[in-house]
Amino acid sequence: MAPSVLYPPVQLSPAASLELAQTAPAVLKSSPSSVSSSPLFSLVGGSEKSEQWIQYENLILTCLRTGDDQSARECLERLVSRFGADNERVQALDGLVKEATAKNNGELEEVLKEYDQILSENDTNIPIAKRRIALLRSMGRASDAASALVQLLDFSPTDAEAWSELSDIYLSQGLYPQAIYAIEEVLVLAPNAWNIHARLGELQYMAATASGGAANGSYQKYMAEAIKRFSRSIELCDDYLRGYYGLKLVSKALLNGDGAKTSKQTEEGDFALPDRSTLEKLHELATAKLAEIVRRAAAKERGWRGYSEAETAAARELLAQDTAAVQR
Amino acid sequence: MTILSKTFTVLGSILLAHACYSAREHTTLQSPRATAAAGSVSLPVDIIIETIVSTVIIITGLVLGTKPLRPLEWRVWAGKIEREGAEGFTDNSGKVDRDFMGNPFSVLESRPNFVDIRKQRREFAEWLRQKDKVLQGQ
Repeated sequence: MAPSVLYPPVQLSPAASLELAQTAPAVLKSSPSSVSSSPLFSLVGGSEKSEQWIQYENLILTCLRTGDDQSARECLERLVSRFGADNERVQALDGLVKEATAKNNGELEEVLKEYDQILSENDTNIPIAKRRIALLRSMGRASDAASALVQLLDFSPTDAEAWSELSDIYLSQGLYPQAIYAIEEVLVLAPNAWNIHARLGELQYMAATASGGAANGSYQKYMAEAIKRFSRSIELCDDYLRGYYGLKLVSKALLNGDGAKTSKQTEEGDFALPDRSTLEKLHELATAKLAEIVRRAAAKERGWRGYSEAETAAARELLAQDTAAVQR
Repeated sequence: MTILSKTFTVLGSILLAHACYSAREHTTLQSPRATAAAGSVSLPVDIIIETIVSTVIIITGLVLGTKPLRPLEWRVWAGKIEREGAEGFTDNSGKVDRDFMGNPFSVLESRPNFVDIRKQRREFAEWLRQKDKVLQGQ
């Protein structure tokens, strides 16, 4: 499917974003360059579409990414002429354009000062606060970004996106317990988000492998949690490749290692590891499901074309490891 | 709407219109006699049957023309998004629904408000360079 300008373009591949950015001049040409917000105008002219503004916003992101600063500025000008330069979201986009076109660290510091200036006037300007955190992180000052983010979450604790970013910052610093805590907060806010459940499972698995092998007491706790989280993500979403992948990875690691045998009762309230037969069943189920997904996605069967190429390739590799082990 | 459902609906409408017309003609022609006999006139059976049959045909046509229903269960719906992508959320003419947005929770992982635009630019420039290299190599 061709990429649409109506979705946030952050996850697009470079090729797709290039394709999207090349549509920018046409989009800019086809829509009127200035839309008045007066009610009289809307009587005379056509009604304004809300999608158009989303389109401009996403085009700014894509054009900046592909280096088409000219189109990005033009989109921004239109947003400014419609919503005014003091709109919080427009301010953030303006900052984004400045960040992207800054040539050296000095200019970045300038942008940062500008953000501080805006925040000193109105410290509840959340889009700007988020940009400031992102810029700090981009400049390599991750701990500053983390403390700023904690401050932001102090007065806006229901911001799931910010919690998720905090988890990512902690993860990049190797602070697994904190990262897990932050992503758990996201789950409190969005308990049905299957990808976040899988993400939490991945974090638990990473924490387990970083804890230093099966001898460590926290290894089992993390692995048990990981199994639980991956299972929940599968429960929430049929044929979820990422969930099955994680489940297979974790159950295989537990079956191969001696983690399953020494499953002693942990502290009260903790989730004990399931016994060996359950683990084997889980492993079998995950293997069967992954094999089915890989086979059908590779055949491009109708109704199985939604998986990304990279994900199915990774699953195929994981399955191939299994068969190699059997042949040996 | 597919051609089949359109045909059904049009055919049913014609039949229904015909039934209405027949009923009207019948009552007009029969009313003098009915007043003479001082009793209400019931419609002949064939008109009644025609009305019922035509209604059933119209309903069949409309039902055939509706969009495929969306899954009610969360896990089925989520699985459909993952498995089929945008392809699973099209209307009969193959256009993707306007409100389709993929996994609605993917923004929690992509976090557009925290986007590191400088890193994205670097990565894109790198990708372009790689591509140029491949093209020159050929």
